[in-house]
Amino acid sequence: MKFDLSILAKHIPFLLEGAWLTLQACTLAVIGSLVLGLAVGAMRTSASPLLNRVAAIYVDIFRNIPFIVQLFFFYFGLPEIGIYIDAFTTGVVALSIAGGAFTSDVIRSGILAIDPGVIEAAQVSGLRKSTIFRKIILPIALRASIRPLGSVFINLILTSSILSTITLNELTGSAKIVASNTFRPFEVYFVLLVAYAALTYAVSILIGMLHRHLNRHQQEGAV
Amino acid sequence: MISVSGLRKSFGAATVLDGVDLEIRQGEVVSVLGSSGSGKSTLIRCINGLEKIDAGKITVDGFDVSKPRELSEARKRSGTVFQLFNLYPHMTAVQNIALAPVEVLKVPRKQAETEARELLQSVGLTDRADAYPSQLSGGQRQRVGICRALAMKPSYLLLDEVTSALDPEMTSEVLSILAKLAKGGTTMVFVTHEIEFARSISSRIAFLDKGTLIADLPTEEFFSDKGMALPRVAQFLSKMRKD
Repeated sequence: MKFDLSILAKHIPFLLEGAWLTLQACTLAVIGSLVLGLAVGAMRTSASPLLNRVAAIYVDIFRNIPFIVQLFFFYFGLPEIGIYIDAFTTGVVALSIAGGAFTSDVIRSGILAIDPGVIEAAQVSGLRKSTIFRKIILPIALRASIRPLGSVFINLILTSSILSTITLNELTGSAKIVASNTFRPFEVYFVLLVAYAALTYAVSILIGMLHRHLNRHQQEGAV
Repeated sequence: MISVSGLRKSFGAATVLDGVDLEIRQGEVVSVLGSSGSGKSTLIRCINGLEKIDAGKITVDGFDVSKPRELSEARKRSGTVFQLFNLYPHMTAVQNIALAPVEVLKVPRKQAETEARELLQSVGLTDRADAYPSQLSGGQRQRVGICRALAMKPSYLLLDEVTSALDPEMTSEVLSILAKLAKGGTTMVFVTHEIEFARSISSRIAFLDKGTLIADLPTEEFFSDKGMALPRVAQFLSKMRKD
């Protein structure tokens, strides 16, 4: 067999469309899981036992079920009880919910790692709880969490390939189509492999830059 | 006035404060002495509401710190300086100092930052105003910590072993600022191991032993016959002086 990438030339626009869809879904899902993760992370460190419990149950459920099963449940299961959501929305929501569980864990450990004395200083200065959370807890926890959050988000990008199983022609879905049309799975999946590697590598470089930027004033290893 | 009456506090089985009565009036500098574990820091932490008290009552200008509604008013009236500084690591010196005035007292940010710089100038840190805590020495951090407490224009300054984490040189940096504040009439509750310094700035000395206030005397009386008449105080002072 001859390794010939040129046969893919005319499929590149189609593959790029898929890549664009992947990018859109991942961007929205990263935002979604960050928002969810912050809320749930805050709940898990809150003083209320009820909020704590609810948050812990959510995390336990979604971390312990294969993503593809969650996705099938949302996409094929929910219509049975009259809830119809399109494939893209389902994909983004499912990724956000699953990613949110992991994100909240990272945020939670970031919050727990904060020196309690710093929070006490904020309390005695009369700051309200919500202000302490916004101005002190969140910024410190996020700075400490950038790298582990990066791993979670990279995992999210990799997991997004599973969205191809619910008719969504993102990068992996498009590649499957091209592979079956051209009968050249080796070349197609080779390109796919490189594309994902490039995407996640770019993200990890961005994360590294962000980490260094946000922690530029901290001592090495202090945060 | 800060008024502490019948204060009890235990951590599990350990009783740390066992019926403490203490009053601090405007303009006084009260040093709280006692060996480690005598409950000095816990006393401060009860006054600023960081510890829930088990029994008794603490009021700051009449506001009961055990009532959540009144605690915020009480906290506006007192400022705390901590042993380990507890600066906000993600904020510059100026931002550390200006945060509470902006958020709690609703001072316009520009004005709060100008005042923060003035405070920093008064403690000799003009050129470190935009440094982050990790870029400051211990003594510098504590001076920022003092400015942060002062920025709220508190009626009372609570100082919790503020020099214990500092070397002698940095200690003297910080103590000279406190001496200046005391001279300027700032009311202070000063928990410390710096006996000689406490003697030089305090109007009164309170001595805690195993959670009980066994002496509450004007400074000169404490360091003369009256204090020495108490065996525990005499023992403590002779030990500290030997060190």
